Amino acid sequence: MRLNPTLSLAVFCFAAAHLSAQWLDYPTKGIPRNPDGKANLTAPAPKLPDGKPDLSGLWLGDQWSPAGHRPVSRARSTPPEMLPWAQKVFDERRANSIKDDPEARCMPQGVPKASTLPYPFELINAPGKLVMLYEMYSLRREIFTDGRELPKEFISPSWMGYSVGKWDGDEFVVTTAGINDQVWNVDLAGHPHSDVLRVTERFHRVDFGHMDIQVTIDDAKTYVKPWIMPVMRYTLLPDTDLLEFVCEKNVDPQHMVGNSK
Amino acid sequence: MKLSWFSTGAAALLLFSMRAFAHHSFAAEFDARKPVELKGTLIELEWVNPHAWIHMEVKDESGKVTKWDCELGSPNLLMRQGWRRDSLKKGDVIVVDGSAAKDGSNLANAKTVKLADGARVFNAGSSGETGTPGAPVQ
Repeated sequence: MRLNPTLSLAVFCFAAAHLSAQWLDYPTKGIPRNPDGKANLTAPAPKLPDGKPDLSGLWLGDQWSPAGHRPVSRARSTPPEMLPWAQKVFDERRANSIKDDPEARCMPQGVPKASTLPYPFELINAPGKLVMLYEMYSLRREIFTDGRELPKEFISPSWMGYSVGKWDGDEFVVTTAGINDQVWNVDLAGHPHSDVLRVTERFHRVDFGHMDIQVTIDDAKTYVKPWIMPVMRYTLLPDTDLLEFVCEKNVDPQHMVGNSK
Repeated sequence: MKLSWFSTGAAALLLFSMRAFAHHSFAAEFDARKPVELKGTLIELEWVNPHAWIHMEVKDESGKVTKWDCELGSPNLLMRQGWRRDSLKKGDVIVVDGSAAKDGSNLANAKTVKLADGARVFNAGSSGETGTPGAPVQ
């Protein structure tokens, strides 16, 4: 077979470009595209075989994303009213610029804070579960959809907790509990939690390229009543993959003086 | 072809100035009221998590050489903004704009990094504080 030299050169250049970028930059197959070849982020949300929305894909919070443009919505949110001990802890943290957050020592962020950071997460459908892979610190969650209930007691509370999910119309409702007391805060602002924390995340894929998550924090030992965070907005990250993130050399804590200087 | 990140990078980075709060509180370690501009010679671009680092030598007017360490974003954040681990070479003369550490050490959080000839500008992907929709600012 004789190869067309121009075509061969073009194929070589295309392959070389992608090899040089590894999988940071690799076309996602089977997604809707505009005539210019870019992903069509406003196409309809895809469906699973059972007719439910397919949440799979790489998602990055709009505040971190060059493609993110939707404004923060506080429409359904309510403020956190803390019990006195929690207010005291919160105020101390703010006064110290949150310097003792275990995240700064590369410990997992917990739920829902892990979903608020400047790194994507990937949602993957699997039988009986939705798998959530976080790029930052290479964390993962399994959200069970096989009908099980959360345990009444957790013999081993964990950093990312235990999660079950079910559909409510077009919203996937995830309930998480069993988060350990080493996780410090439910958000970047530094709001604390107790062992009775229950996090409800309502995932709503608006269209092909956009998803919202509305989070309710229910923790009667910490807050006067359950409170709802401003809706978190996400935009799909096409044509890339998750990258490894191993916290191998962390030198910040020795310099973190908070507000003492 | 997608090899043109050098040519598109500067424009894109000006448009997209990501004030990434990654992994730790900016204000716990750095002081936004202590801006620094460091011009010197690159010793090493250290490509590690959770932050990449620029290690450089800065010569003052008297000729005294001081070593500075400048914190960048993580390698993943940098790569998504167009950096590569070989974007800077040992011996490159660079200018780092950023904020000095509160503890007085020769440590800075980099906002931008540019080659001294101005040819290439990189957003450092690690500076600034943020509010986030998940984190109501009180």
